Amino acid sequence: MMISLPIVDSPEAVRPERLWRSPAHLRQDPDFVESSREEFMPGASNPPSGSRRHFLQLLGASMALGGLAACRRPVEHVMPFADRPEELIPGVPLRYATAMPLRGVVQPLVVKSNDGRPTKIEGNAQHPGGTGSTGVFEQASLLTLYDPDRSRVLLRNGTATSWDDFLSLCQRLQLGSRRVAVLAAPTSSPTMARLRAELEAAFPQTNWLEYRAEGIDAEALGIESAFGVPYRPVYHFDRADVIVSLDADFLGPTARNFRHNTRRFAAGRRLHEGKNTMSRLYVAESAYSSTGLMADHRRRMTSGRVSELAAELAVALGLRQGDSPGAFARQLAGELQAAQGSGIVLAGESQPAEVHALCAAINQALDAIGQTVDLLNTAAGAATQPQALAALVSDMRDGLVDVLLMMGVNPVYDAPANLSFSDALERVSDSIHVGLHVDETAQRSTWHVPAAHFLESWGDGRTWDGTLTPIQPLIAPLYEGARSHSEILGALASGTFTRSYDQVRATWQPVLGTDDFETAWHRVLHDGYLADTGYDTIIPYGAALTGSVPPSPGGLELVLRLDPTVLDGSFANNAWCQELPDPITKIVWDNVAIMSPATARELDVASTYRKGRYVADVVTLSANGQQIDLPVWVLPGHPDHSVSVSLGYGRNIATTRPERKTPIWDTDDKTDVYAKGSIATGIGANAYLLRDALARPVASGLQVTKTGRTWTIVTTQDHGVLDVEARPLVRMATLSEYQEDPEFALAHEAPTPGSDEKTRFEDYPTLWEDRHPEDSPAFRDSDYWQNQWGMVIDLNTCTGCNACVVACQAENNIQVVGKTEVGNGRELHWLRIDRYFLSDDGLEVSDDPQMVVQPMPCQHCENAPCESVCPVAATVHSPDGTNQMIYNRCIGTRYCANNCPYKVRRFNYYNWSKTIPETVRMAQNPDVTIRFRGVMEKCSFCVQRIRSAQKNAGLEKRQLHRDEVVTACQQACPAEAITFGDLNDPGSRVSRERKNPRRYTMLAELNIRPRVSYLARVRNPGVIPEDSA
Amino acid sequence: MTTVTDKSVTLPVGDEPPLVTGNLGFHDITQLVSYHTEKRPPSAWYMAFAVSSTLLAVLLVLIAYLFWNGIGVWGNNNPVGWGWPIVNFVFWVGIGHAGTLISAILFLFRQRWRTAINRSAEAMTLFAVICALLFPTIHVGRVWVIYWTLPLPNQMEMWPQFKSPLLWDVFAVSVYFTVSLIFWYVGLVPDVATLRDRARSIWRRRIMGFLSLGWTGANRHWRNYEKTYLLLAALATPLVLSVHSVVSFDFAISIIPGWHTTIFPPYFVAGAIFSGFAMVMTLLIIARRVYNIQNIITMNHLEKMAIIILVTGTMVGFAYITEFFIAWYSQVEYEQYAFLNRATGPYAWAYWTMMSCNLLFPQFFWIKRLRRSIPFLFVTSIIVNIGMWFERFVITVISLHRDFLPSSWDYFNPTIVDVLTLAGSFGLFLTLFLLFLRFLPMVAMAEVKVVLPESDPHFYDKEDHD
Repeated sequence: MMISLPIVDSPEAVRPERLWRSPAHLRQDPDFVESSREEFMPGASNPPSGSRRHFLQLLGASMALGGLAACRRPVEHVMPFADRPEELIPGVPLRYATAMPLRGVVQPLVVKSNDGRPTKIEGNAQHPGGTGSTGVFEQASLLTLYDPDRSRVLLRNGTATSWDDFLSLCQRLQLGSRRVAVLAAPTSSPTMARLRAELEAAFPQTNWLEYRAEGIDAEALGIESAFGVPYRPVYHFDRADVIVSLDADFLGPTARNFRHNTRRFAAGRRLHEGKNTMSRLYVAESAYSSTGLMADHRRRMTSGRVSELAAELAVALGLRQGDSPGAFARQLAGELQAAQGSGIVLAGESQPAEVHALCAAINQALDAIGQTVDLLNTAAGAATQPQALAALVSDMRDGLVDVLLMMGVNPVYDAPANLSFSDALERVSDSIHVGLHVDETAQRSTWHVPAAHFLESWGDGRTWDGTLTPIQPLIAPLYEGARSHSEILGALASGTFTRSYDQVRATWQPVLGTDDFETAWHRVLHDGYLADTGYDTIIPYGAALTGSVPPSPGGLELVLRLDPTVLDGSFANNAWCQELPDPITKIVWDNVAIMSPATARELDVASTYRKGRYVADVVTLSANGQQIDLPVWVLPGHPDHSVSVSLGYGRNIATTRPERKTPIWDTDDKTDVYAKGSIATGIGANAYLLRDALARPVASGLQVTKTGRTWTIVTTQDHGVLDVEARPLVRMATLSEYQEDPEFALAHEAPTPGSDEKTRFEDYPTLWEDRHPEDSPAFRDSDYWQNQWGMVIDLNTCTGCNACVVACQAENNIQVVGKTEVGNGRELHWLRIDRYFLSDDGLEVSDDPQMVVQPMPCQHCENAPCESVCPVAATVHSPDGTNQMIYNRCIGTRYCANNCPYKVRRFNYYNWSKTIPETVRMAQNPDVTIRFRGVMEKCSFCVQRIRSAQKNAGLEKRQLHRDEVVTACQQACPAEAITFGDLNDPGSRVSRERKNPRRYTMLAELNIRPRVSYLARVRNPGVIPEDSA
Repeated sequence: MTTVTDKSVTLPVGDEPPLVTGNLGFHDITQLVSYHTEKRPPSAWYMAFAVSSTLLAVLLVLIAYLFWNGIGVWGNNNPVGWGWPIVNFVFWVGIGHAGTLISAILFLFRQRWRTAINRSAEAMTLFAVICALLFPTIHVGRVWVIYWTLPLPNQMEMWPQFKSPLLWDVFAVSVYFTVSLIFWYVGLVPDVATLRDRARSIWRRRIMGFLSLGWTGANRHWRNYEKTYLLLAALATPLVLSVHSVVSFDFAISIIPGWHTTIFPPYFVAGAIFSGFAMVMTLLIIARRVYNIQNIITMNHLEKMAIIILVTGTMVGFAYITEFFIAWYSQVEYEQYAFLNRATGPYAWAYWTMMSCNLLFPQFFWIKRLRRSIPFLFVTSIIVNIGMWFERFVITVISLHRDFLPSSWDYFNPTIVDVLTLAGSFGLFLTLFLLFLRFLPMVAMAEVKVVLPESDPHFYDKEDHD
């Protein structure tokens, strides 16, 4: 069975004139010129003469060949993960193990492929370095594959050229001894390491620089200064009793070991099945982060102050001499000493290397290393020094670099402005940019080679723990010109082209041995990893504490961070990421300067809520001699005298797509997010510019001036202080309260009328019918009612990281509506994460509130209020207890959405699916209906997954396995906060979780019996010292 | 037909002032009313028609724009699924109440003053219900399958969902429209016959002859007519109460704070009568002047309507206050917040507009001088309808924009399409009303003649005659 896919046309490559077909062509022989006018050989274009049979033969042959030409399946051997490879059944998806390179390591994945198109990304649960979960970026990378703005052809000085042209450049370079420099994103790939060695052999003067957009790796430098080697830390938060985060957003989606951290942290916080103790998390941070909202005790302070706190902590623990530490530091030290080996101190990316060194030393002094902190010996060389980039740029400016290869990096955009990288780039005779987009760097380089997406090319890498992991493609490159990094590096090193498949196999030959290489190779591809290849753990001897923490300079501080939705800008052209609400601010499609209410008052700026949107003052931020304009965002809980800005915005990506222009009566050009150029261009401002030449993430002496202009900011949720007593939506207690009364969540429940106090609303009789009308024909004649689906969400482990939101979007074909329409309240996310501020002092909006998050899918009420009001029965209850939306019956009265107390229903106000670009259509899940304009939609509990599992069970003549059905949000959740399953099975995980005493249902007093329950949140605050630290 | 030769006698009946002033006789009434359908309309009519038909054209263009692009051209959003279209629907249905109330209920209660205004009030009802029916039709997301709300037999045995108040609406409003139309038409028959008899051109005679169903004014015709009219009045009376009760169920059946209220049915009916009378007043104050029928639609008629407006306005105001009391009394946070938010939230201006227009302004009608002041009546009737539009806005939009979960709270901004669609619905309404004025007798001539003193020469209704 051949699978044909829509072929995306690439602009015709320009054929250089020096290429010739034959000597006759070169000489321009008259005979040749004559014959070349005809497209085909003589007679070939004439209609076939002869018999009908001959005609039919030709017809059949052309059909077959035509089909072959459209075949886009990868020609190399890819191994399906679970199903037999030899039988591709149309409509039945296959799953392949692969991995995604992200922030220097790979994330092990299992990718679903429908008829040759990758359609959904999941974590590889069997991988020793994986958790089975995914983060925002793994999920969203699927849309990056289908990004319609991806570059399609090789460019030489901005004009299309061919791969052969580039190859001839590589061959030319082989001849002389060129000074080659490489700026490459950090990679863990053994193949790339091998090719790098080849390159360095071919060009002995090669200067290879690992380039991170966000700047140098302070953690590696700090650990290197402490132990002499940049070991890689792995934190086992589940084993920890006391965790002290010094500005470390280790639970944030941008954290490098995010999935592991979240999984382990959640394990230490989960109160179930008899476990009633949990870790205590202290956070001192310079911005509100996902980690901060999980904290038991959070202190907001400037980044400089956090560094000082680290020094105080070292003094309090007796590691250093110094002034007497503050009460907070003494409190932390006391708790850490009491916890000894089960304490963790860790510092964030915005902290200088010295603080990381201190944390390493403290962990060692606490005997935590080997217990709660593992140090891995990655065998990497010395950590990159901050001055390295400046040195390279100065070489470039001095003409000491002939060839500059930039792979997966975008230095014109994200290098510090003071280095004037783009000026220096002009002095390089052959600058080669390899990337997914014709981005800022591509537009200024002599060569641009379109990079293949990781789902399009072979590769390999190591996970955070070092496990060797192959990357196998699921689709041939969508665009002819695209090549993988290793192919380009190989071409440059050798002057010849080797396919990445052969390159990777060549790397793995010595690893797997040549005896039975093919079997071992297939095994590795099938599993997605090679077992027992993780890095060794090291317990180093005494830490050296050389550097001292620089004193906090005072004044206004600027802290630059990776963005939790677009990372360093590499996801800026991803519409899912742009529309993803920031986990803390809930802002979409924008970049803001975040500051505390007090600082905003001091600067006389504000972001004012007005008619569903925020109107924010635009300010000019000046630091390090550079300035950018950004709107202000006032966030309670942000430290005073500090401004936080996300990196990754202010992009300029070229696209070849024409602008959409529709007549006046048609709104498509206004509603289509792809209508006006590339997604990323023109959103926010580039904060990379504000960094100093060493690319440090913190700048002191920030100047903020009001421009007098305003900017409209759109959020999915406005500021709201939750009055927990009046609206017990998110219920919480302290650990001691929980230990006293595990069922504390029920104390908030309204009394059930007309019955004794013990009766819960769930058991309360309804007005009209029994709970499950099992005797009605619709139920009796269906097997479905044997399963009753339910979900439990643990608010004690959910960090609000958004992974579930993107996973839901990818699984359920949820369309992107754009900034204006989100502002109009028409976003389509089926699953949203509600965020509330909590004030200790009642309803007063304090400057330092707590924050809670609550994922909110459809609650699948048993007495669903939406169902009874639909005039056409377009939303009905399934026999297995889910509330179903029948799209093709829906006429769009929106009555159901009005009557939904959770407001989880989403309406298609426009025909969003009409304008999806052709490539993005390929990303749509064929198992889920694409919704038309004018119909309601909402969370379905991933009914397609339920039915598919039931179908398979039926074909195999068996019952469903326990917990066989997994929803997309549940599968993605790194914290395992979401449990889904069959309530009829008393042994299922969800049934067990529902016995958790912390369980409650939202708005139970409406007697609508939601099938989704929440486990109330428990904090472990401990004794808090009075002073303000 | 009877004719009157003597214009000199005006006999007071009891203490009631005469219903028809100016010593008009039977023929004068025929002449006064029929004349306007026979002559060229005044230039004011042409100007009004030009404006209203332009607005109608705007409405049609905007509906086409809506159908082409989707509901997104309006301001509706996620918490506020129902915006202006439903506000307009309830507003027009409410206006469509006065006519049938005047014809049916006042008929049954033998309120003879109704005869002067019932025809135009009924016409207004029909046209208002047409406007009302328009909005739920165009506000659905997929208008091309709107017929699924009707119980049409089909091979899938797929029926509408009878638990839904929206479905009850479909039945209630369409039945109300049908009965009102028949009632109106039956009342028209004798008058159309009069027009037929007066017709000069053959085509007018044929059309009017067709519409008058062979009416000859025979005793038998009158007997059947009176009986039919009485039966239809009895049939229409419960509908007057049921239609707006059912419309209120759209809100009351739901579980949203601010909607889920048992007071809604009587409160909606009172509000509907309130707004309906105000609209009748607005229209008739202009029409009686332009068509010079002040003697038929007298100041006494207007005053009676003003009293009804005063009574129903006070009832509505009482309901507003009761809602607040119940919210406080319930001790339910969500209810309490919903009402607090009405009075002090971001839409407080709309709430206080409603309160002052509906509760405060009608109270001036306690003063007789103001009840009988044409300018004051005219202004107040318009204020009342503004207030009633805002009442529906308050109920629909303010309740929806902030309900249970503060995370999904949002704000509703109408678009220019919303505004022009509302204006366009007035175009539709006025166009139809102007056509009615042009072609049909705007006063029920036959009925008015019954209340003339000449019809009661023996003072049968008066016990002691002096």
